[in-house]
Amino acid sequence: MRSLRRGSRVYAVAASTAMREKLAYPGNFAGSMFTYALFVFIFSRVWAGAYSGTTEIAGYTMRMSVWYFIVAEVPSFGFGRFFWTLSRDMKSGQVAYLLVRPYDFIRYNFAEKFGGSLVEACVILAEGLAVGLMLVGPPPATASAMAAMTRPLFLAASLLMAGTLNYLLQMTIAMTAFWFEENEAFFWIFQKFSLVVGTLMPIEFLPRAAARIAVWTPFPYLSYAPARIAVAFSFSDALSLLARQALWIAVALWLARIVFASGSRRLSVNGG
Amino acid sequence: MIGRKRLSPTMRPLGRIRAYARFLAAAFAVNVKSTLEYRVNFLLQFFGMMLNNAAFAAFWVVLIARTGNVGGYGFSDVMLVWAFVSTSFGLAHIVFGNVRQLGRIIMEGGLDVYLLQPKDVWINALASKTIVSAWGDFAYGFIVLAMTTGADPERWALFVALVIPGALIFAATFAAAESLAFFIGNSSAISSALTEFMLSFSLYPEGIYGSGMRWMLYTIVPSGFVAFMPLRIFKALDWRLAPVLFLIAVAYVWLSYALFNMGLRRYESGNRMDARV
Repeated sequence: MRSLRRGSRVYAVAASTAMREKLAYPGNFAGSMFTYALFVFIFSRVWAGAYSGTTEIAGYTMRMSVWYFIVAEVPSFGFGRFFWTLSRDMKSGQVAYLLVRPYDFIRYNFAEKFGGSLVEACVILAEGLAVGLMLVGPPPATASAMAAMTRPLFLAASLLMAGTLNYLLQMTIAMTAFWFEENEAFFWIFQKFSLVVGTLMPIEFLPRAAARIAVWTPFPYLSYAPARIAVAFSFSDALSLLARQALWIAVALWLARIVFASGSRRLSVNGG
Repeated sequence: MIGRKRLSPTMRPLGRIRAYARFLAAAFAVNVKSTLEYRVNFLLQFFGMMLNNAAFAAFWVVLIARTGNVGGYGFSDVMLVWAFVSTSFGLAHIVFGNVRQLGRIIMEGGLDVYLLQPKDVWINALASKTIVSAWGDFAYGFIVLAMTTGADPERWALFVALVIPGALIFAATFAAAESLAFFIGNSSAISSALTEFMLSFSLYPEGIYGSGMRWMLYTIVPSGFVAFMPLRIFKALDWRLAPVLFLIAVAYVWLSYALFNMGLRRYESGNRMDARV
């Protein structure tokens, strides 16, 4: 029990160090914050244009669509860039230093990368709330006061799960570097699918057949789940989305472990 | 000057243009060779950039299928805007690959190497590199054009005539923002902001922006001249307006060049030893 607690402390320390490192350079958030605000502004204009002749598209009003985009972009900006550092570490041989240390490679990287990204995601979310209030007013109302109180908790849980799933999938793709030196193409494909399936617009906007296929892939659980909880909250829907996110996290963790076990056997370390 | 025919005063500007055209062609050929040295990387970046652009096409096809149009643009209009912007942007970065590195070069004292060479510093610095992924952007516009307008040679000729001033405007605007490094030191925040603004505003229908914003799209963030005006000319098949766009491009290039040269007077050498291979 004590060794388990000591083991968990290592990851907690790694996460908090990454967080403090991020907070030490607040100026580094400026670029993402600026781009995020610009995207939100432009998409609010796109939605204004799209809704000029109608009040509802696929069950979403204009205000819902704008808030949807604001929340859906948080995982992209906060948790969307793990791949680059992970892949760089694999290719540069940095991975060799981590493999010989007495902790779990996937968990340690998760603590370190997720910790830093969590700070950025919180900053982006706070900015999104401010920009959204200015552009279209408060988020769509919930059915009851109880729902209004619990929605932020479900939203926070869903965002954390979206970040975790994002990390595991990107880690799996980054580990293809054990086989392929140029593995960016895999990430680009992943990134574009996640952009179209649930980030730029809700999956309800997709043609029915495409939406039916999309729910069986992990992509809607990277952005769609938290954004849907934010704009069309109901307990049953939120619980179902969280359950599906948890399921995909389990699948992605299993996949990452298999790829790591198989790929790390191919690693040859030369020199010191 | 020995063995070289002296040009008459009236011929000199033409001679200089020819000389710089030859210089740009030589720089381009060297850049292409260095790009093709890493073929896998080239292909990955080429197709990766096209995939990136295609993802947005998927967004627009779904949205416009539901709404009919957005801001007065139908699907083919949005795709043509993407074609103009991506090909112009790609061309600017293929020929003037250092255009978004200029500020860093200035800050790090890297202009010394260009100052010692007998070509214009601005053109030499901008054209001495190419961006690999820009080839994907460049090609994407032509693919979209083929898909939206077919093989009509007049349309293709007009498209080419319109993307050249577009590329010049992109390069001139980015270079002007980067040249601010002469005056304020680190200008990376301003230049990245301008890049984001220009690209983001160019890729969405003009009609979604209010009239209060339009003046900006035809002045400091000239998205109007690289996207919306070319689209109008292209749809009307109105060749008479193409030279106007060229004149506008020349004005942007002149302003950018003047700003760079004004800043160059303040430039201090970094005493950096560099070799260009």
